[in-house]
Amino acid sequence: MENKIPSYLLQTVYDQYELAKVKRAKLSFLDKTIINSATAVKSIYLQAENATKENFIQKINPHVKLISLIYLVVMISLVDNLVAQILTTAFIFLLYIIAKLKIFQVYRKIFFLAFIFGFLVVLPASLNVITPGKIIFNLITFNKPSHFWIYNIPQNIGFTLNGFQVVSLVFLRVLNSVSFSMLIVFTTSFPAFIKSFKILGVPDTFLMIISLAYKYIFILSRTIEETYFALKSRLSGNIKSKNIRKLISGRIFFIFKRSMIIYENTYYAMVSRGYLGTVILHSPKHFAFKDFVALVIIVALGIGIILL
Amino acid sequence: MEDIISLKNIDYSYYGKIPALKNVNLSVKKGEMFSIIGLNGSGKSTLLHIINALVFPDSGDVLFEGNPVTEKSLRDKSFGMQFRQRMGYIFQNPDIQLFCPTVFDELLFAPLQLNLPIETAKERAEQTLSFLGIEYLKERPVYMLSGGEKKRVAIASVLTMNPEILLVDEPLSSLDPKTQTFFIELLLELNRAGKTIIFTTHHLDLIEHLQPRVAVLSEEHTIRKTGTASEILSDEELLISVNLIHEHIHKHGKEEHRHYHSHYVFHKH
Repeated sequence: MENKIPSYLLQTVYDQYELAKVKRAKLSFLDKTIINSATAVKSIYLQAENATKENFIQKINPHVKLISLIYLVVMISLVDNLVAQILTTAFIFLLYIIAKLKIFQVYRKIFFLAFIFGFLVVLPASLNVITPGKIIFNLITFNKPSHFWIYNIPQNIGFTLNGFQVVSLVFLRVLNSVSFSMLIVFTTSFPAFIKSFKILGVPDTFLMIISLAYKYIFILSRTIEETYFALKSRLSGNIKSKNIRKLISGRIFFIFKRSMIIYENTYYAMVSRGYLGTVILHSPKHFAFKDFVALVIIVALGIGIILL
Repeated sequence: MEDIISLKNIDYSYYGKIPALKNVNLSVKKGEMFSIIGLNGSGKSTLLHIINALVFPDSGDVLFEGNPVTEKSLRDKSFGMQFRQRMGYIFQNPDIQLFCPTVFDELLFAPLQLNLPIETAKERAEQTLSFLGIEYLKERPVYMLSGGEKKRVAIASVLTMNPEILLVDEPLSSLDPKTQTFFIELLLELNRAGKTIIFTTHHLDLIEHLQPRVAVLSEEHTIRKTGTASEILSDEELLISVNLIHEHIHKHGKEEHRHYHSHYVFHKH
């Protein structure tokens, strides 16, 4: 080395530092950020892992899957027969078994969404105030019926049989739509699925942007993780809350700036490889016999539940 | 000499799915120069993260001077502070490591966290700037530095903590030859000054230069062998099996050679 090593670096007895009496920063929110970031990557990883399994459903052409998804969701919305909806639920469940997905994990999410948007939101519709009919579960009894503005308030307010049927129908519609959508998402590689939107006339440039955004989630998660580790390794424990706020805001700026750089470099890489303002993506693989079989089954199911 | 770091039966996986380390056992002695070598993706950086308690293993024990390093033990303010102060980590990518407005702020950051008087902190920062030959960068914003300058500032920002143990991830990564030489000499100098140095690399020439004790990580994420630099470098069979050397063809004039290759070590003809 040209220069002399600083004397403090030659100390072999290391300083014993005292903890300062300052308001110390709690870093748990950083831990939560990193955990959430890791969870996002994990779910993408699991999706990719599921989508590449060598099963019948995974191998179906993404175009067929997209057409099936749109067709079946429309059919599910049109069907107002409870038995038909229950049969559809059973059919979709069977598809999950064939696809060898982790049924418990996926259905936990599906039921959560269906419970919120298909049950809780429409539950008031099962009251006799909204859906008249025979009360099967009484909630409140007034002395007499009353009239308020354009509303008639009956003497008894409760859940009606017709109301429950309406709620059940909406719940099953949401459940079936969500579960079939998730089945398609979990069994199709994301880039291939996005490309299949070409069939609907979605411009290639838009699809390219979606694909880049998807890829960017990985890069961003990685950057957040590395930044967090670098920060953690240098925080000896005495940092004040206001200082940590400054640091974090600086790091957010850094991540933003880095995003800009990656974005710019990606653009340059595209230009250097012939990008002239229009993206041309290649189409997914050609149709095979199994794709026609899958399409016929889905079309038959849709017609079947409508006719029931 | 006593072990300053010990890892016992360490297993670690990403997201509980992708294995990164399997049953890793190693120990590093005080004042030792120690290297972890292996291909990209073998788990070298993860191992450094575990040693620095940035992530915690799925199973197994990490000991620092015989004391367990866990999330719980680090919550003890005294132990946590001692641990962080005594171990400095130079990341592969200096960009993520620098977070203060100017170079001088970066160098002052650690001493001020450690409650050193401002005058002592400034003195340390000045000495370190001079030692690393970067006085001219003192007031410069970090984002206006070149790659080599960022690396020097990243090293300086860790040195001002005066850590007893220095963890260095891929010391030569994206450095020009001059900065590489500088960094190699710096590591030797710091080791001579009594610092324990643990670094990762896949450059066998760096092992030859620094002569550390070496642990070889395989692509299966296990430690295949630990030994002195000469023991590892002379074990051709081992290095081939972990893909650190490989057969290649090159020409001397019109004559073509085919032999196992890794710069300096197996370039024997």
